[in-house]
Amino acid sequence: MLALVFALSSGIIGGLLVAALPAARTRLRNMVVLFFTGSGMICSWLVARQVWAGERLRFAGQLGGLTFCLDPDPLGIVFGLIAATLWFFTVVYSLGYMAGKAHQRTYYAFLLVAFSATLGVAFSGNLVALYLFYELLTLTTYPLVIQERSPEAMQAGTKYLLYNLAGAAVLLLAIVLTAAWGGRLDFVGGPILAAGLKTGLNWLLFLFTVGFGVKAALLPLHRWLPAAMVAPTPVSALLHAVAVVYAGVYGLLRVVYSVFGTTLLGELGFAALIPWVAAGTVLVGIIVATQQDILKRRLAYQTISHLSYILLGAFTLHPWGLAGAVLQMIGYAVLKTAFFFCAGIIAEQTGVTRVSQMGGVGRSLPKTMVAFAVVTLGMIGMLPLGTFWGKFYLMKGSVAGGKWPLALVLIGSGIINAVCFIPVVVRAFRDENKRLSITERGVRVTLMLVPTMLLVVVGLGMGLFPGMVWPAVQAVVDWFF
Amino acid sequence: MTTLIRANLPVLVVIAPLFVAFILPPLARRIRLVEALALLGAVLGLGGAGYLASIVLTQQENPFIYQLGGWPAPWGIELVAGSLGVFFLLVVGVSVPVLLFAQGNLAAEVGGAERVTRFYVLYLLLVGAMAGMAVTNDMFNVYVLVEVATLSCCGLVSARRYPRAAEAAFTYLILATLGSALVLGGIGLIYLITGHLNMGFAAQELSRVWLARPHVVLMAVSLIVVGFGVKAALFPLHVWLPDAHSTAPSPASAILSGLAVKGYLICLVKFLYGVFGPTLLQEFAVHRILTLLGGVGIITGSILALTQEELKRRLAYSTVAQVGYLILGFGLLNVTGLAGALFYLASHAVIKATLFLAAGAMLAATGKRNVRDLAGVGRKMPITMAAFTIGSLGLIGLPLFSGFIGKWYLLLGSWEAGLILPAVAILAGSVLCAAYLLPVIRAAYFAPAPEEDWPDPGRPQKLALLLLAAAVVILGVRPGPFLELAQKAAAELLAFY
Amino acid sequence: MSGLLTKVLINYPYLVAVLLFTIGTFTVLTHPNLFKKLLGINIMESAIFLMFVASGNIRGGVAPIRGTTNAEAVYINPLPSALMLTGIVVSVSVTAFALALIMRLYKAYGTTDLRRIAARRKEVISDDHLDQG
Repeated sequence: MLALVFALSSGIIGGLLVAALPAARTRLRNMVVLFFTGSGMICSWLVARQVWAGERLRFAGQLGGLTFCLDPDPLGIVFGLIAATLWFFTVVYSLGYMAGKAHQRTYYAFLLVAFSATLGVAFSGNLVALYLFYELLTLTTYPLVIQERSPEAMQAGTKYLLYNLAGAAVLLLAIVLTAAWGGRLDFVGGPILAAGLKTGLNWLLFLFTVGFGVKAALLPLHRWLPAAMVAPTPVSALLHAVAVVYAGVYGLLRVVYSVFGTTLLGELGFAALIPWVAAGTVLVGIIVATQQDILKRRLAYQTISHLSYILLGAFTLHPWGLAGAVLQMIGYAVLKTAFFFCAGIIAEQTGVTRVSQMGGVGRSLPKTMVAFAVVTLGMIGMLPLGTFWGKFYLMKGSVAGGKWPLALVLIGSGIINAVCFIPVVVRAFRDENKRLSITERGVRVTLMLVPTMLLVVVGLGMGLFPGMVWPAVQAVVDWFF
Repeated sequence: MTTLIRANLPVLVVIAPLFVAFILPPLARRIRLVEALALLGAVLGLGGAGYLASIVLTQQENPFIYQLGGWPAPWGIELVAGSLGVFFLLVVGVSVPVLLFAQGNLAAEVGGAERVTRFYVLYLLLVGAMAGMAVTNDMFNVYVLVEVATLSCCGLVSARRYPRAAEAAFTYLILATLGSALVLGGIGLIYLITGHLNMGFAAQELSRVWLARPHVVLMAVSLIVVGFGVKAALFPLHVWLPDAHSTAPSPASAILSGLAVKGYLICLVKFLYGVFGPTLLQEFAVHRILTLLGGVGIITGSILALTQEELKRRLAYSTVAQVGYLILGFGLLNVTGLAGALFYLASHAVIKATLFLAAGAMLAATGKRNVRDLAGVGRKMPITMAAFTIGSLGLIGLPLFSGFIGKWYLLLGSWEAGLILPAVAILAGSVLCAAYLLPVIRAAYFAPAPEEDWPDPGRPQKLALLLLAAAVVILGVRPGPFLELAQKAAAELLAFY
Repeated sequence: MSGLLTKVLINYPYLVAVLLFTIGTFTVLTHPNLFKKLLGINIMESAIFLMFVASGNIRGGVAPIRGTTNAEAVYINPLPSALMLTGIVVSVSVTAFALALIMRLYKAYGTTDLRRIAARRKEVISDDHLDQG
């Protein structure tokens, strides 16, 4: 219980502390940031152990006539652990990446508060709490998006904010309707909506899909994501692989398994449509990605594509599909974060931001490029990496759920991923004569390189020993089926 | 003594501010004393309201009925402090922090120390009239109080003597008088067919005779809705509001936008539900018209607010939009929706007062009216901007702030009424609200600050801002008696439906 | 037809009230001159007063003063008249206040015509901050 409260509050406390510290006290601030993200991560793991041991950590309060409750279940734990762990890596990376840049105090303060918001989304036990943290996440990540303060960043920030607030407004309507129809908003005790009341449920599902779909960058609602690439690289990593988009995906998983339930969804016409929308997003996202020259934009469109893997798995409504979705969630988060870290190192060290300029980077930054290459294999879904198992179970689930064409979509997407990223790696290692000037070495580079390497190692580990993450996945599947 | 006070409480809360207002002018030279007395008058009103609320909430007496001069109801004038009345009396308490704010910098705001006393007189008259509207149960009394309020509002708008303000005050005066004439006409028609001016008796009589004279009743409903609509800036009758609320001195803007508009809306509720009754409203489809106007008002007001460069005008147009939420809720014709609208009324009173006061403090410190010129103000005036931010988040309707609860019940109410479009309007309004308020915050915090020194305002002003900002949060986290009173009031108003 | 006509003739005070109200409202909303607007408001209010007072009247009734009439006499309803006294007081104060505002506007713009005020607003706005006592 204490662990839960501390896991949630560590970010907020740390954020306030950072805001209170004078801007010049860099070292002290770095210590505070590390301490609070680290303790938040440790507390999240403690919470996870308790939940896996079968304990219920319910923390409820009244919020103006509405019940507000925190109640982590195995699915929330998976998201919470991904967020807490990768947040710590990102913070370490940020210490290197952000060193010497402007507006650091604002950056770290909001980075920490956003940490709390993300954990809040993960550990919330009803839709009210989820909505609260969801909105908080939007607002606290906004200053991170406009970190550069350039006109372009400001524009992207406005787009980000308006898309997400509009999505949250739709979500609020959906939540109100759920409260009116279902009579409760808690996630415990099975799906909220009972089978049998059918009129309007398709619309409700539509509202939920739009509401969470904005953050999950589902296809026509994705425009803010590529725009938000102006943010610093660690923020992009958080936005894309950990916090924001995952909050949307997590919300949709919640809608499927806690609000509607698989039985009810099986009867809804709109629910049958969503996997195909997701499949479309998978293909269109990755095809658009191949057209992009700016590396970060290429990664952004690839995110749009890969998030829909998870949705596709969730909407197969089959245990294997869910297992695949959860595995994909874990594996993809780790590798995508590493992917962004690599892109960030390349940009910081050599100034290369475009795919067409990549020649010679492999020679200049061999470690980074090797990591990049390994991650590329993961994105395709090849074996020694964790994402393989995700994809494997997703395919298994699609076939078992009676939607075998989805498996073909996944295979196709893997091939296009290869087309998209292998040439980048090849080009980076080709132009051997061209040597790029490297601006920096030293602590700053180490701080960026170490988390990247560690993440790649974790990704490899999960591929070689899938048993390491399987208990968490098993817990989620057992919880809902 | 205490028993005497307790027995006369409903009239005392009205008389206290009025009495203080009338003893101020001879003391005009001793500004300190005037300030202290003015604050005392408002605080006494709020204290009485709190005491009355405790009596009504604990069901010692609900409603608390008071007969003026001891004359019984159909002949004498009745004051009724029921849930609705007590609820609005508590909302009138917003006047205390606003008054506190005014004391910091009023001479500069109204342009001259000799006008300070006049400002306080008008202010307290307005507060007294609002308190009167909360408790009165007599239709002609409503008219008189509405006129007192209108005149003091116009006086407040023109307190500072620049020509724009005089122009705005004149437009306001003419349109508001037009509105009260319509209201008086409506009251006259009701009196003609029922023979009563007491709301309760008129309602009883109306339910008996309206079938015989449907046209007269329809005429009366229209006159009253349009009449109060003009005064409460119900879209599309809002034309006077932006000028009046943006040219007034800042404390006056806060009280006009936060409170004065709400008084007329409470009167409208009293007439719609207390006199005509829900059945009659449904018969004439008045509720649908209200919801429609409310929804259109939300969208149009917000879009107009979005196009304003000047901060105070933006806030003024936002008031037009927010009145739309209330009108929309009044038309939903169910307890949830009405309770939501009433709670939203309280929430908006606090929030708009916060926003206008913060905007006023920024205007006073920087001399800049436009949003664009306020870049960097967040770091120069941290407390002011913090209050502004809290107010904005509340107005957008984020959870943990008071606006959220109001919107939640309004949404539930529109679902209960089986309508989806009002819900869409409510949510679109929230997003538009974010679109017109967040740029202010963005400029204040994330834009480079200029060299000039813009200090936070003085201590009483900071205290007032913090009090109001705290109220926004407290209402959002622990709405307690407010939500309870709003729900009770809604249930009582719709009891016979 | 004759029935309707009789009805209208019997209720002529109300008919006049409606007429006055229309004239007043029309003047307020359409006339650009501030004084005319104020006059319109006054006409409009008189219409309402007329309606109220007429509602209290009973043809052939006498003023309800005790001890001056015999017991069978029909009293008119004195309440509306009493209310309208208050109404007139309110109307007078509105008029006074409006006149003060008109004077202030005249001093600032040199005209009482709204169209000209709108035309001159630009010039006067520039010294908005100059308070004129």
